[in-house]
Amino acid sequence: MAPSVERSFTAASTLEEAMAARRQGAVVLAGGTWMMRDPQRGVDLPEAVVALHRIPALSKVEIEPDHVVIGAAVTHAVLGRALHGAAGFEGLVAAAENAANPGIRRVATVGGNLCALDFAAADLAPALLVCEATVELETFEGPKLLGISDFLKDRHALLAEAIVTRIHLRRDLVASAHIRLPLRKAGDYPVAIVSLAVDKDKRCRIAVGSVEPVARRWTTLEQAMRAGQASALDPERAAGLALEHNDFQGRDGREAEGWYRRQVLPPLVKRGVAALLKTGGLA
Amino acid sequence: MTVTFQLNGEDCSFHGDPMTPLVDILRRERFLTGTKAVCREGFCGACTVHVDDEAVPSCLKPIGLVQGCAVTTIEGLSSGNQALHPLQANFEAADAVQCGMCFPGMVMSLSAFVRDNPHASRPEIKAAMVGNICRCTGYERIVDAVADCLDQARKAGQSVGGIHV
Repeated sequence: MAPSVERSFTAASTLEEAMAARRQGAVVLAGGTWMMRDPQRGVDLPEAVVALHRIPALSKVEIEPDHVVIGAAVTHAVLGRALHGAAGFEGLVAAAENAANPGIRRVATVGGNLCALDFAAADLAPALLVCEATVELETFEGPKLLGISDFLKDRHALLAEAIVTRIHLRRDLVASAHIRLPLRKAGDYPVAIVSLAVDKDKRCRIAVGSVEPVARRWTTLEQAMRAGQASALDPERAAGLALEHNDFQGRDGREAEGWYRRQVLPPLVKRGVAALLKTGGLA
Repeated sequence: MTVTFQLNGEDCSFHGDPMTPLVDILRRERFLTGTKAVCREGFCGACTVHVDDEAVPSCLKPIGLVQGCAVTTIEGLSSGNQALHPLQANFEAADAVQCGMCFPGMVMSLSAFVRDNPHASRPEIKAAMVGNICRCTGYERIVDAVADCLDQARKAGQSVGGIHV
């Protein structure tokens, strides 16, 4: 049995209760799939935790005609089911339905996926980047809304005194796709992830995960693809542009070296554009 | 901290560190050693149990999150005095079990899957097994047995989960 530890564990039933625990220094426990591996990495579990799973508002997916709100405690499995068939969210659904393995997807949450600071291969991060999601935080000063790019860049500092509560999405996409390259067919961390989306103005958005420590938009490729509107969604052309505009610094890791993560991006873009063309919104 | 939950249909309580992985309580306190602690990272699936009817890795489930939940382990799926779960019976009939290390987890993952997916295709069965690693690599025979189990249930007009889970 684990050594006897006087650990504080709060299963908050309101956001106020959760914030009170945070003020006392408690660390947020989401599904536990990342934090519970800390001992394997030689890191002690926190002395005080606050769990969010009993806060009803954080476990809901609200789908409205013009927007979607996803609670931070929604699991990957629930998210995939809730958005299945929703036009424009094909990529986010694929991210939710293919991350990790089925058992993890039933437990791991949206908030946990975005807040695991040292998890570079989070599938939802690039998928939400191309949705241009807005992250809602509850801070010690009150609620705060932040674009997901800014959240991912600054989350280390932000999460010191905030809890991610909801993700807001506009329904302005006509199609999206999520392409991942695991070393096995499934079940392990992807070497690289490319998420793509096309909005109502026919603009293509592209984001990359797992290649660098934090997922980000591939703005140079987006701009290059916009330059030739007529053939912007040609898979071969997109792959060529991806090769030409590859500005990523691949991170070395257990699964793959940095150069390889970087090098697989053009073929993944090609696959992604081909997948986009097959979705209902563009077919 | 005290955590109360149902374990294989009986009330159960745990006093201690709320971040203790469920698998350790099952094995070390309750001596339910069918649940295997292998990778402890959620990759191998050997520790899979049902929590509120969902198949989840018990190595990554802190007991604090189990408060008020119903936990079913491989021992609770069928006691020695009862008929086997139909999926277990099919595995036995197909001689699908090799070393046995992965099998409790395999059964717990797939018993929930066949309950929820009575018309699953072969690729869907394989997708459901992604989180359960068999070091003996006996996957095809396991897939055959699951497909047979679903086929038999369909012919009999029964849901697999409705029989025994």
